[in-house]
Amino acid sequence: MIADFVRILRAADIRVSPAETLDAAEIFETIGFDDRSILKYALGQTLAKTEMEKLAFDEAFESYFRLPEETPPSLPFENQEENQHQDGEDAPDKSAEQNSGEGRPQQGTQESAQQGAQEAGAASDNANQTLTEMLENQDTAALQAAMQQAATQAGLADARLFTQQGMFSRRIMETMGLADLEARIRQINEGGETEEAERLRAGRAQLFEAVQDFVERQIAMRTKNAGRLLREDALSRIRLSNLDKSDMKIMRELIRKLAKRLASRHSRRRKKAQRGMLDIRRTMRANVAYDGKLFNLAWRRVKVERPKLIVLCDVSGSVAAVSRFFLMFLYSLDEVMPKTRSFVFSNRAGEITDLLQGDDLETAMEAALRQYGGGSTDYGMSIMDLAEATLDSVDKKTTVMVLGDARSNYGDPGHLALKEFYERAGRVIFLNPEPETVWDTGDSEMKKLGAYCTHKQTCNSVKHVERVLDDLLRLSG
Amino acid sequence: MSKQDTARGAIEALMAGYEKLGYVSDEQIATALFLAQKLEKPLLVEGPPGVGKTELAKATAEYLGLNMIRLQCYEGLDEGKALYEWQYGKQLLYTQVLKEKLGDVMQGAKTLDESMTRLGGFEDVFFSEQFLQTRPLLEALRSDDGVVLLIDEIDKSDDEFEAFLLEILSDYQISIPELGTVKAKKPPLVFLTSNNTREIGDALKRRCLHLYIPFPDAVRENTILQARVPELNDGLRANVVDFVQKLREMDLKKPPAVSETIDWARTVVLLNMDVLDSDFVKNTLNVLLKFKSDIEAAESDLPRLMRESLHPKESGTAAE
Repeated sequence: MIADFVRILRAADIRVSPAETLDAAEIFETIGFDDRSILKYALGQTLAKTEMEKLAFDEAFESYFRLPEETPPSLPFENQEENQHQDGEDAPDKSAEQNSGEGRPQQGTQESAQQGAQEAGAASDNANQTLTEMLENQDTAALQAAMQQAATQAGLADARLFTQQGMFSRRIMETMGLADLEARIRQINEGGETEEAERLRAGRAQLFEAVQDFVERQIAMRTKNAGRLLREDALSRIRLSNLDKSDMKIMRELIRKLAKRLASRHSRRRKKAQRGMLDIRRTMRANVAYDGKLFNLAWRRVKVERPKLIVLCDVSGSVAAVSRFFLMFLYSLDEVMPKTRSFVFSNRAGEITDLLQGDDLETAMEAALRQYGGGSTDYGMSIMDLAEATLDSVDKKTTVMVLGDARSNYGDPGHLALKEFYERAGRVIFLNPEPETVWDTGDSEMKKLGAYCTHKQTCNSVKHVERVLDDLLRLSG
Repeated sequence: MSKQDTARGAIEALMAGYEKLGYVSDEQIATALFLAQKLEKPLLVEGPPGVGKTELAKATAEYLGLNMIRLQCYEGLDEGKALYEWQYGKQLLYTQVLKEKLGDVMQGAKTLDESMTRLGGFEDVFFSEQFLQTRPLLEALRSDDGVVLLIDEIDKSDDEFEAFLLEILSDYQISIPELGTVKAKKPPLVFLTSNNTREIGDALKRRCLHLYIPFPDAVRENTILQARVPELNDGLRANVVDFVQKLREMDLKKPPAVSETIDWARTVVLLNMDVLDSDFVKNTLNVLLKFKSDIEAAESDLPRLMRESLHPKESGTAAE
């Protein structure tokens, strides 16, 4: 029960650890099931640990703990009214019945007696009551119970995908005895009682609908987020240039999420005093006043610099998509990398730092691409432009990143300009969206440019971008 | 069933008890407190600034009749300041004394071995309780009758410190290399507060119960004011609450928190106001709002705010 609930929570994107599951079990112990509001608060406090998770938790709790009390989706039979009436009467002990199936027989007898059903003997034992009989008797409650039981047997709790819906419906029907029912329908049909067969067939259709509805709700509850998670996972690996327009929204969300994770991982690492490492020089100096007795100790400190970053992105053609996401990612990291200057180029480079610092990154990117994109790539000119704008401010703490495919249309690859950066900057990183195997083919000048880089690597998916930036932050951290 | 009855009963008793101390809780907060005590788990309290997170810990200490030890976190806080430190100065003095007495100590020692043994006897003294400077966390662990330990604004501390807290929070014990493991005599009731300036690590969260305190709704805020500023009459109090609630609906940099509402209510009492007129509100907006841009935004919107929040109450004030 708890395990099942935890599974549903996990499906709803709430991270629940085994230890927390144990805590939840303890809470069930102390509080019990009956006081719903307190139980909800208590479980919420143990299992959901952010605001977002709390919202998701509330929803999951409401839908999960409502199910047992809810009246079953009534099967639309002729004597529905009577059945519902009975359901109402039996409601208090219904959950017990559904769980154990023990409480059923008595009611079954009563019902069948009321309806004047022929096979009172068989009906007295619910476990042996066949699907056909249940349908013939219009025994909604028994059908409901059988459905629950069949669902458990069919392993509905393991359902993960919406596409499994049909399979599970079928499986449940089969467990409930579909084969018998069909045989019976055939038999009656051959016997010429068409009216009776018709009635059974209608019953079967209604039952099928009910099962489908039941399965759909169950699966929806369990897989609400599974699809999205799967999609996100796939998207983070997909090549950015192949990205579909329709995935843009998920992508933005994903980037925001990853950037936040990265930022929180690196945000507090700027100053750390390393205890245990004595800073001799500072200690000596501090203790001159005490006649050289080492009275006040000074510990060695490591000061973590925020990286100074200059980014040059190719925004022509196929590289544009990658550049776009790279910059988006970069600017979501504003918090940990405030000293970033970015340039984009196709034939000439232009600075877009201010443009990107506005509120709406999306429109800023569009504007930048419009302004600088479109020309034919000229690495030589662009790197020269970059040098003119930034070379003076480049020092050992600066990282220069170039994102591009290094295809300069057989023009000047700009390696000599890049060399100047290489000599001054702490690091020059070349990110190429093309896989390494096609570097240096055709007009790719990777060899020339690569000679003046400290790192060069392939970068064409969000995963790559994340890794590159993570490394960058770590190196400077 | 009796289990559940006691849970519900205990939670209601908690709520009543806190209310007597001037802390107006609700079912959710009381549940968290109940669980924290029952399961002996630390309670991580999050929420916007000024909703009474720290106050909650204080009220708990008062309610349980325990001492409260408070550890304010800040960037760069390390175990030397949070847990214990060797009193280096004292140790140094001790060495000096020892050096002078060395002759006396060594007197009569015939072999090197013997003098080493004698010296060895002193060595242990160096890292003994005598030179141990306890800091809040260690104090909390060593207290005889349990304490309320408030680790305030954990989000301001470093990751390393957070990791260091893990041992204390899960087992209520701490390892000091020179002395061994110190186990809590009586597990302290731990409150951690966070303003969410950064995401707290999962490992830490996992060990805690998590309570989110949002801004209170009008009814609860009214009760809080009643408890904290009893001098204010009913009509004015309702006005104050309504105005603040309306203010929170606006898009502000920092919406007024409960503490600010209380301050404002005190201002109303102090200035002996009978009604909230727009001049008064305009002049005292700075009590509620702490950013210039916020104050400007509220001022320009003042007529609407006043109309919407005060008008329904006009009759109430008249009835006074």
